[in-house]
Amino acid sequence: MDAMEISVVTLLAILFIPFVSAGLIMLFFRKCGNVAAVISVTSAFLVGILTIYFLYDWDGVAIHEYMSWFELGGLRVNMGFLVDRNAAIMLLVVGFVAFWIQFFSVGYMKEDDSKGRYFAGLSIFTFSMMGIVLADNLIMLFVFWELVGFSSYGLIAHYKDTQEASDASKKAFIVNRVGDFGFLVGIVFTYWHFGTVDLEVLGLVAKINPSMVSSLIGFLLICGFLGKSAQFPLQVWLPDAMAGPTPVSALIHAATMVAAGIYFLVRIFAIIPGDVLTLILWLGVLMAVYAGACALAQSDIKRILAYSTLSQLGYMAAAVGLGYPGLAMFHLSTHAAFKALLFLGAGSVIYALHHEQSIFKMGGLVRRMPITTITFAIGLLALCGVAFTSGYFSKDAIIEASLFINKNIYVLLLFAAFLTSLYMGRLFWVAFFGRPNSINAEDAEESGVFITLPLIVLAVCSLVAGYMLLWPEKIGMVFWGELIGVHDEVASSGLSMAVLIWSSLTWILGLGISYFFYGCGAQKDKLLEFMPKLFSFLKSRLWFDDIYDFYVSKIQQRVADLLNFIDVVIISGLFVRGSAGFVGLLSLGGRALHVGSLHVYVYWFLAGLLLFGAFVFGWF
Amino acid sequence: MMTGVSSYVVVASFLFAIGFLGVLFRSNTLIIFMSLELMLNAVNIALVGFSRFNNTMDGNLFVFFIITVAAAEVALGLAIIVALYRKRQTVMVEQLDSLKY
Repeated sequence: MDAMEISVVTLLAILFIPFVSAGLIMLFFRKCGNVAAVISVTSAFLVGILTIYFLYDWDGVAIHEYMSWFELGGLRVNMGFLVDRNAAIMLLVVGFVAFWIQFFSVGYMKEDDSKGRYFAGLSIFTFSMMGIVLADNLIMLFVFWELVGFSSYGLIAHYKDTQEASDASKKAFIVNRVGDFGFLVGIVFTYWHFGTVDLEVLGLVAKINPSMVSSLIGFLLICGFLGKSAQFPLQVWLPDAMAGPTPVSALIHAATMVAAGIYFLVRIFAIIPGDVLTLILWLGVLMAVYAGACALAQSDIKRILAYSTLSQLGYMAAAVGLGYPGLAMFHLSTHAAFKALLFLGAGSVIYALHHEQSIFKMGGLVRRMPITTITFAIGLLALCGVAFTSGYFSKDAIIEASLFINKNIYVLLLFAAFLTSLYMGRLFWVAFFGRPNSINAEDAEESGVFITLPLIVLAVCSLVAGYMLLWPEKIGMVFWGELIGVHDEVASSGLSMAVLIWSSLTWILGLGISYFFYGCGAQKDKLLEFMPKLFSFLKSRLWFDDIYDFYVSKIQQRVADLLNFIDVVIISGLFVRGSAGFVGLLSLGGRALHVGSLHVYVYWFLAGLLLFGAFVFGWF
Repeated sequence: MMTGVSSYVVVASFLFAIGFLGVLFRSNTLIIFMSLELMLNAVNIALVGFSRFNNTMDGNLFVFFIITVAAAEVALGLAIIVALYRKRQTVMVEQLDSLKY
């Protein structure tokens, strides 16, 4: 085998090992939770190792291997891999984070009754995400895109006996369908307009003939992104998806589902026209601010983190919108590390507190759970963009990039960064310091190595992932150019210091204000006490959910009732039942002629003959 | 004495009527079958008569067709009746009503 074949086989293995693992578990080991856990974690480990092996072996030249899947008329659909630098970085992120999350799950789900289902879900989730990463054309990507939706549906509904979880999974699935519909129409239009759905060819076509790029197609395609990455106006599903187990939230938020949306944008960046980019930019910026504000009114630790993800996705979308897809990928990678860390840290806390999720019932965890607290703090610092953590490099690069394009966006992004450190500070001071606010918090203890080891590994990554020279050259090239370009531009205009001061001010102010306003280990939300109006405004989340609920129950339901009436009364009653009844009536008469005696049939025959004769002789 | 065409037609009609009534009123399948043959042969007689009085061979030609068809029909029909008897131990049409009941 030559080198090319080896890498293709490796890629196939990376894609199908999780699939085989899921199949094995679902078919044979549903009831044996521990066997399922071993299979699933082993497969994730293999995927991680193979990913590293593949990337080590890879020479940095894009691999595009495909075979024909099916043909419909002129439409030829391929199955294939397109591994360029973006895919490589994503492979690394997914492979790495997915393994540590599975590892963490072993500890977190120890007492769960349906571990088989859970680990099969994680495996199929990894499989679907790897499919999105590797897919070389839009149709294959869409298939895996839907598989991601399906597997997230299954995992969010893990605690299927609770109403909350089943509602949340339905909501996630349906809201995603709305976006995916646009995506699907977009694929059809892409094929109609460009004559191909192959990502590499699309990129080439757009490069050679930029006038081919169309706003409508760009807009339709990004509908898929809006759904998966939970951006305006389809953001409602993500906070509710917290009903799933915490490692699943970590997986959805860090490496798979929502990251898929950003990755997809980067993948089709070449065929997104300028006006759609502007739309993405503004949606992203508004989401960064909106989600940050919403997080201030939440008390569930996971929901706060969920809004923080929305806000960070806003940054990534803004980076794409600003024309810096590399920076979006960079922030996606660092975010994957520190958001996985934060969620797993929250998982560690929730596990230790016997599934207590309200931050106002925690408090004082720093003494009881030092490893979790320290690693959580590292994740928090990275998220707030404190200087020299990974978030500082990636997030501030996006903020700086906006400085020369639109001052308003720069200010808004800075404000969002301030909100970020404000709500994260609130979470941190309230949950980890002061005195314990519940019996569970008093008895909290650090959990075993399955829980703490992933935290430590991810904490190290959150600290160092931002140093661009630590990235191997063939992967780092994704964002090096843009990163250096932005820094040079800032430096050449002499604003380096000012930019650093402003961005540092945001987190110093955010963490400081939250410390003095909320206080350590608070039992009640101060904002609710002092400014109940503002609090309830933030709590309302701009009434998006209420508007959708109203739409569904009042408008859509009426239309559905009307259609139901048409279906039941007119189509079913009149056409289907009516015609059947008419024919039935006729056949009742016809059946009476069938008496079962041969002689009677002879008479009928005679009658028929006479009738025929009457026709022939013209008696009628 | 020269027999007119009407004699042939009368004999043919008579035989046909016997055959037809046989089909209508007999309940033994074998008899019904014979009556059917009788009707065919009634037609044959009429055709031969017409052929003779028109001085053409058309009628005779038809007769040969009918004889052939009747022979084939007998071969098939008798086989069916024998098979029917083996299966049901009866050839009475009153008892052959399983399609209805």
